[in-house]
Parts: sequence; C-alpha cells; structure tokens
Amino acid sequence: MSKPHYDREHHAKIASGIGDPQCFRGKAGEAKFKEGERVRIRDLPDIFYTRTMLYTRGAVGTVTKLVYESPAAEDEAFGNEDHPEWFYSVVFMQKDLWPEYSDTYANDTLETEFPERYLERA
Amino acid sequence: MSDHHDHDHDHGHKPAPMVDEVSHFEILEMAVRELAIEKGLFTAEDHRTWVEYVHTLGPTPAARLVAKAWLDPEYKKLCEADGVEASKAVGVNWGTSPPTQFGTPSDYCNLRVLVDTPTVKHVVVCSLCSCYPRPILGQSPEWYRTPNYRRRLVRWPRQVLTEFGLQLPSEVTIRVADSNQKTRYIVMPVRPEGTEGWTEDQLTEIVTRDCLIGVAVPKPGITTNVKLPVRKAIHPVHHDH
Repeated sequence: MSKPHYDREHHAKIASGIGDPQCFRGKAGEAKFKEGERVRIRDLPDIFYTRTMLYTRGAVGTVTKLVYESPAAEDEAFGNEDHPEWFYSVVFMQKDLWPEYSDTYANDTLETEFPERYLERA
Repeated sequence: MSDHHDHDHDHGHKPAPMVDEVSHFEILEMAVRELAIEKGLFTAEDHRTWVEYVHTLGPTPAARLVAKAWLDPEYKKLCEADGVEASKAVGVNWGTSPPTQFGTPSDYCNLRVLVDTPTVKHVVVCSLCSCYPRPILGQSPEWYRTPNYRRRLVRWPRQVLTEFGLQLPSEVTIRVADSNQKTRYIVMPVRPEGTEGWTEDQLTEIVTRDCLIGVAVPKPGITTNVKLPVRKAIHPVHHDH
C-alpha cells in the first residue's frame, strides 16, 4: 500500500488573508432555522470527537444569531470539509440546563453555539 | 492572598503558576515540538518567530476597544455588529496579523463583543478547554484553563464570580458565554460611575483583563487583576523568572 498523502498546507491555502470561518462563507446553502426559533439539542452519537457539550443535549433553547458557516468540528477534526453547515448561537435558561439552579436567579442564561445537525425544532 | 510587594506578573514575563510544578502538558509540548522540528514540519526559527509574536500579545487592544466604544456610540454599534472589523481600529487584524497570515487553528477570525447593560452581566468560559481571543487579549490566565473554573462557571456562575470578589444582586441577570466553536468573546462592561470626562487613555487603564473575561467590573482606581492564591507544590521546581 502506498503512503497516504496529507496536504499540510491545505488550510493555509484556503484561509490565508481571508480567515476561518470566513473561507467557508456561502458554502452551506440555505439555513434551516432562523433567529428567535425554539430548538432542541439532539443527542447524536460521538465518533471519537465532538464539541457539543453533554450538558446541552436534550435541552431546549432559543436561536439568538446565525453566526457563520463552517464544517462541523466533528467532520473537520478528520479533515472532512465536504459539508459546511450553518452555525447557530443558542441561549438557554440556566434552569433548563441545571434543574437545581436557584429560583432566586431564575432569569440567568447561558449562550453557546451548535452546527445545524445538532438542532431540531422544539 | 498576596501582599502589596508582590509585583504584577501579567506583564513582561511568565505569569506565576497556580501550582508551582512542571505539568505533563509542558513536557508533552517540548517533546512534540522537538519531534516536529526533527521531522521538518517547521524549523526552530519558525518556532522562535511564533513565540516572539505570542509574547507581544496582551489585553491592551481589547481594553482600548471598550474605552473607545464608551466614548463613541457609533463605534459601539460596530463592536456589537462586527468584532473583527472593530478590532482594526485598535490595531488588531484577525485575518493577517499572526506570522502564519491565517490565524492559528484555535484563533478563528470571529470575535463577538458581548455588551453588558445595567441588568445583564456577561462572563466567558471555554468549558471544553481554553478557547480565548488571543490576538486581542493575549494568553489566557492559568485559572481560565483549569477544570475548576471551566466545570463550575457554566453551572454555578454566581458562586464562581463571588470567589473573584464580584457579588451581583438578583436583579442583574448573568449570561454565561461558553466558547465551544469558532466564536471568541470579549465582554464590554458598563462604564462605571466616577469616570465622567475621562479620556480614552484613562478609561483604557481600568478595563483590566478580568473585566474583559467578565469576572470583574471596572472601577475607578483599580488597574490590576484579581490575585488568586498560589497553592504550594509537593515537589516544587525553580522557574527562571
């Protein structure tokens, strides 16, 4: 078997002078969700790598912003840039993440980002 | 806690470690770096250039960004809409300033400025590891990278902030930003009372790194970060600083 060839300068070639995630702009197609929409975080299986925290899985939040287009970290970790997707910033009530969170501070929130694949309408 | 003679470790040289011991990660970094140089992935010269660049970074540009925004409502709007564009006014070009010309795998070109109001306080964490807006804020403090801060801030933000000396009333809502993907965050705190008529330079001085992470709020006369206690090591080593 021949040795696999890795292009170590691939990222530099696509992102130089443009930036990452800017280099993936316009490559994800139409966004499935919009600002203000209620979404549930899916509990997808992890194949060796994920950036979707366990504490958000199954929780329902609100999309605050469509932030950028990029391959999901779960793909990019293995050099797969074939399917860039939209990323969303989602805000959760702390109470919805941590049931024991104090009622005195019931309006406290947490905001974080997800690739589109992890979201479903709630 | 430290006494008044303890000089500020945040500028010029290595910050004081929380645990005074060489970590496995430091040893791992040296081993991987030496192997990479031997294999020819990069040269020792490349590494030196990178280290020198990294040492020029600090929180001053971010502090100036906040001070400018306090004085200029139009600029504040730009900060909220496009942090990368707003950074250019304080001398930081996310796209091209590092020696690589495309950032680093962890310094993505996507800065979001979280604007506090009198009723909303933002605070930043990376619960996964250590994502931090290094081009505009320099290297993260050691406590930012500890599992203690990362695990607890997302779940008990008020308790953690209180440990930093920031106790917020229940009318103020806390919004934690967990930096888990390609966005990096800085916090724009509310301009404190007692700074009326101040210049941009004066305002820049009170916007400390801690204020920009969100674990402190600016106060007239306070220009240094919170000092956390250093735990004594069982097997201490001597640092060259």
